[in-house]
Amino acid sequence: MQPMIKVEDLTKRYAGATALNGVSFEVQRGEIVGFLGPNGAGKSTTMRILTGFIPASSGRVQVAGLDVFEHSLEVRERVGYMPENNPLYTDMRVSEYLKFRAKLKRLPRSERQERIPEVMELTGIKDVSHRIIGHLSKGYRQRVGLADALLAEPDLLILDEPTIGLDPVQIRQVRQLIKDLGKRHTILLSTHILPEVEMTCNRVIIIHHGRILASDTPESLTKTLNAGGLIQVEVRGPGSEVQAKLRAVENVESIEAKLNEDGFLRVTLTPRPGTDPREKVYQAVASNGWTLRELTRSRTTLEDIFVQITHEEDEAEEERREQGRSVLR
Amino acid sequence: MTNVPPLLRRELNAYFASVLGYVALMFFLLVMGVTFAVVIRYLNTGPTQMTAMKILFSMFWLPSLVVVPMITMRLLAEEKRAGTLEMLMTAPVTDFEVVLAKYLGAVVLYAMMWALTGFYVLIVRHFSSSETMLDLGPIFSGYLGVIVIGQFFIAVGLLASSMTKSQVAAALMSFAVVFMMLIVLNWLTFLFPTGPLGKVFHAVSAFDQMEDFERGIVDVRPVVLYLSGTVLALFITTRVVESRKWR
Repeated sequence: MQPMIKVEDLTKRYAGATALNGVSFEVQRGEIVGFLGPNGAGKSTTMRILTGFIPASSGRVQVAGLDVFEHSLEVRERVGYMPENNPLYTDMRVSEYLKFRAKLKRLPRSERQERIPEVMELTGIKDVSHRIIGHLSKGYRQRVGLADALLAEPDLLILDEPTIGLDPVQIRQVRQLIKDLGKRHTILLSTHILPEVEMTCNRVIIIHHGRILASDTPESLTKTLNAGGLIQVEVRGPGSEVQAKLRAVENVESIEAKLNEDGFLRVTLTPRPGTDPREKVYQAVASNGWTLRELTRSRTTLEDIFVQITHEEDEAEEERREQGRSVLR
Repeated sequence: MTNVPPLLRRELNAYFASVLGYVALMFFLLVMGVTFAVVIRYLNTGPTQMTAMKILFSMFWLPSLVVVPMITMRLLAEEKRAGTLEMLMTAPVTDFEVVLAKYLGAVVLYAMMWALTGFYVLIVRHFSSSETMLDLGPIFSGYLGVIVIGQFFIAVGLLASSMTKSQVAAALMSFAVVFMMLIVLNWLTFLFPTGPLGKVFHAVSAFDQMEDFERGIVDVRPVVLYLSGTVLALFITTRVVESRKWR
């Protein structure tokens, strides 16, 4: 089947700066893909190109098989877009705004009358439909933006930082809403908040300095890119013997131990990449009759991966620059 | 062009959703009302060649200079500043539709303001002793004149608004341009009363053209001049809006 989004070798140069440098990726129908990257990585630029707001400097971009530059209007009819900071006409009432947007999106009158209450219901803004947008809280405004994006039942939803500036409760609500929407729409959302991606997306694309660094499911990113978390053990027993036994456990690379004041030994184990020696650790402790109080594995988060990847990339870049400089000399 | 009606409606609503529309309207009605009151007193002092509406139309330069920047400064500058242009342009509408709707919105508001001065015609008619005092021909051509000239300045104001994110900068730009085209050109007709240059200045001076319109003469040349000026200004405005694409 045709992918929903197909981006090939996309480059965008602004005067004096390259925002995107040879970006290629695909989004399949039905996926929820998270675009992850620090501020200024090129997320918004990519989204603006996808929605036809600005063109690319070079490369090919297709949405539902249509070139976004050649068939700009057709693409825009198929995409529901919520730009960064969710700009809305703050002087309009919610229902009035949605009606205006529905007309722009060429929904016939009958469909409009059906669809507007529907999206208001879906996004939970029915009770504020007569309020002026400028008087609403940020959370409600965000939902008005989402409602607008949903109006024309688009194949593809593009949401640029949908949870930015919301309070924790609102963030949770918006994330749940996105998850629910993912059942019916293909979604591309951007964020620089990592838990968001882990919670809502099937796939993550990590972008940094206008280049894609990784693209995978959150789980396998965690698996392949990192050895996995450290293991914490708290044991009561003869100090040196405990350490020796634990070091000998299969797949344990190194250990570090510290004696607590209450007599428990706190040991931090670094497991070999891709392994989980917790069971063996338990057996080692239990077979010696020592008391075990804690056995946990700290989960590596996407955050660690993200920092790791972008850091490696920065170092590589630094190196390239150094080399460039030495060549110049 | 199917998107123009909803866009136009939104533009008109926006004037009255903010204080701006009311302020512009108040300014216009205040100036025109005071002028009308003074004119009536003046006409009562003795016999004269002038008619009330003729004097009123000759005041057209003041709304052009002040009201036009007021009602056009917001149009595109504010959309750019607030980022709502992105919402607008990622909907299935063309850049030209947006520009056209904004231009039409301002023209409709401007025409509505002048339409309100129709009450003055009714007042004059009610109190005038004979039918001859109120010749409807020059009144219609006068209204045509203020609209034809005003709509061109509106297109210029819209162009100014497209070039900046700041409403104040847009207002000052359109004020400067309208001032040059209206007042400075008028001064030039005094500096060069005759000669080839003088001929050109007289031909394009809005004051000279307005005099014809006030007298009931509808010359096609200024109408064509202003309408083609509008087309050019709207074309450039569309290009400026599009320029985000090639910058």
